[in-house]
Amino acid sequence: MNVVSVQDVSKTFGAGHTAVLAVDHVSLDVDAGDIVLVMGPSGSGKTTLLSMIGTLMSPTAGRVLISGQDISVLSAAQLSRLRLQEFGFVFQTFNLLSALTAEENVMMPLLTAGVSRKHARVKARASLEKLQLGHRLRNLPKDLSGGEKQRVAIARSLANDPRLILADEPTANLDAKTGQDVTLLLCETACRENRAVIIVSHDQRLRTAAKRVITIEDGRLTTEEGGQHDLHCRMHAGAGLP
Amino acid sequence: MQETGIPAGAMLFLAVKNLVQEKTRLLISVGGVAFSVLLIMSIQGLYQGWSNKIGEYIRTVPADYWVTQTGATDMFHTPSVLPLTVRDFLTGVEGVASAKPFSGRRVAFDHNGKDINLYIIADDVENNVGAPARVVEGKAVPERGEIIIDAVVGRSENIRIGDTIPVAGRTLKVAGYSEGGYILSFSFAFATKDDAESILQLPGATNFFLVTVKDGTATGEVASRIEADPAVDAITKDRFVENNTNIVRDTFLPIILVLLLIGIAVGMTVIGLTIFTSTIEKAREYGVLKAIGVSNRQLYTVVVEQAVTAAVLGYALGAGLAVVISAAAGQYVPEFITEIRWFDAGWIFAVTVAMAVVSSLLPVRRLAHIDPAEVFRA
Repeated sequence: MNVVSVQDVSKTFGAGHTAVLAVDHVSLDVDAGDIVLVMGPSGSGKTTLLSMIGTLMSPTAGRVLISGQDISVLSAAQLSRLRLQEFGFVFQTFNLLSALTAEENVMMPLLTAGVSRKHARVKARASLEKLQLGHRLRNLPKDLSGGEKQRVAIARSLANDPRLILADEPTANLDAKTGQDVTLLLCETACRENRAVIIVSHDQRLRTAAKRVITIEDGRLTTEEGGQHDLHCRMHAGAGLP
Repeated sequence: MQETGIPAGAMLFLAVKNLVQEKTRLLISVGGVAFSVLLIMSIQGLYQGWSNKIGEYIRTVPADYWVTQTGATDMFHTPSVLPLTVRDFLTGVEGVASAKPFSGRRVAFDHNGKDINLYIIADDVENNVGAPARVVEGKAVPERGEIIIDAVVGRSENIRIGDTIPVAGRTLKVAGYSEGGYILSFSFAFATKDDAESILQLPGATNFFLVTVKDGTATGEVASRIEADPAVDAITKDRFVENNTNIVRDTFLPIILVLLLIGIAVGMTVIGLTIFTSTIEKAREYGVLKAIGVSNRQLYTVVVEQAVTAAVLGYALGAGLAVVISAAAGQYVPEFITEIRWFDAGWIFAVTVAMAVVSSLLPVRRLAHIDPAEVFRA
């Protein structure tokens, strides 16, 4: 069963003569372990597609199935639960909670899912240590570098062992090397644990991580090709992490 | 896909973190609530303190019934004048053990340009009626030409033992201070029966009769027998205390209600605005939480818990200040008699929490409209 199945999905914003067709009859299947890079110019509909897959937006037409479940029949509360259990999100602007330390940010999805504070702390700590952030557990986001923030965001996205990770322009707010390193780290971690990853990005260098590269233009899926995927799907020693 | 129970601890954890992150805002919301609580608790304490004081003296008067002129219900609002011959009638009523005259009325005198109001009571040693509840300094029983005044009046108006005061055309020497007789704008004072009679000008009459009933007698039946005389009413002691305490209620309740509303309005506005601005500022973070799977209900919990936490902190501060300020004010301003009861602390706490919950409705409404898809916008 596909982790994600996008079936002839369209999304229109507005109505009448001001209507804008952002996504136009797109179909896409993503399996466990897939690393899909979605590319395309600004305004092509990449992020809209990602939002629909992430159940943050409803399609105007077509269906999105997550692990075989049609999400259009789920209530808002059920969609929240689905996102909590099945998805991990990585954002362009990191979007860490400013009042919480790095450790607490990673604990948040776990606590929301009902994990005890003690176990959430142990798991968050282990996850951050794995991402070479063991020395930054008690730091607030404002005291972290961009790369460190994005690694905390990655740890948060992986906290509830999601089947699918959705990353929106994860390298955009980082310098070139840091951005690439952090994203490769995300892909390696996900790949090693057989999770599916969908990355929306302009960054051509991410092709080296992707197994599939999809291009969207004017809301339409125009091409699909294989990625270079030269990852070893195991963690690096950590040298050179941002 | 079922929604499981909300882990309240997770939300409280975030609520507290959000609160303490913005220290200035926290200070404003806690300060606003503390001000409201201080206001409500102080005025309620004053109300309770004065109510108790007025009842305190009347409770010490030995009587099962206060017999009044028909229609008179208390010592202050309605005059009661009864001929002393009523005593013969009362002692003849079946079940009555004793009937003693009790006389007193309000008189005012000028002291350093200020009107001092006293309620002069005849201290009838012979009948053991009209003595002060407690004497804290000086003589316990006045002699002819002497008066015992309340310590609060003595201290606040600087009238010392040994000073003389003009009362209804006579000059009386202050012989002692009593306690428990200060009531709002006047206080109880005690003079000998002869002096009181010449001040009160009630020849052959008194204001009330204090009736005690024989052991084993049904008090209700005795009252009915007394009230067979249409010129008198028999009021139970508890009822008479209540009737007199109502003077405080009537004077203060409207003020308390107004201050209560002001306090609630201030508290709600401060909490509401601070939590609302915090919610707007953190709209994106709430969007992130929605995106990663936190339900609307859980987010509402965060906001309500933030408001309630601020309110509880404000309550603790305000209640603490009310206790300290009341105690300190009582030292310097003797008229400031307060009593803060656990019951009052309880209902004020409940009002504070309710205030916080109501004031978080506006931010909660704002939360409901946050679109989680916004988090993908840079």
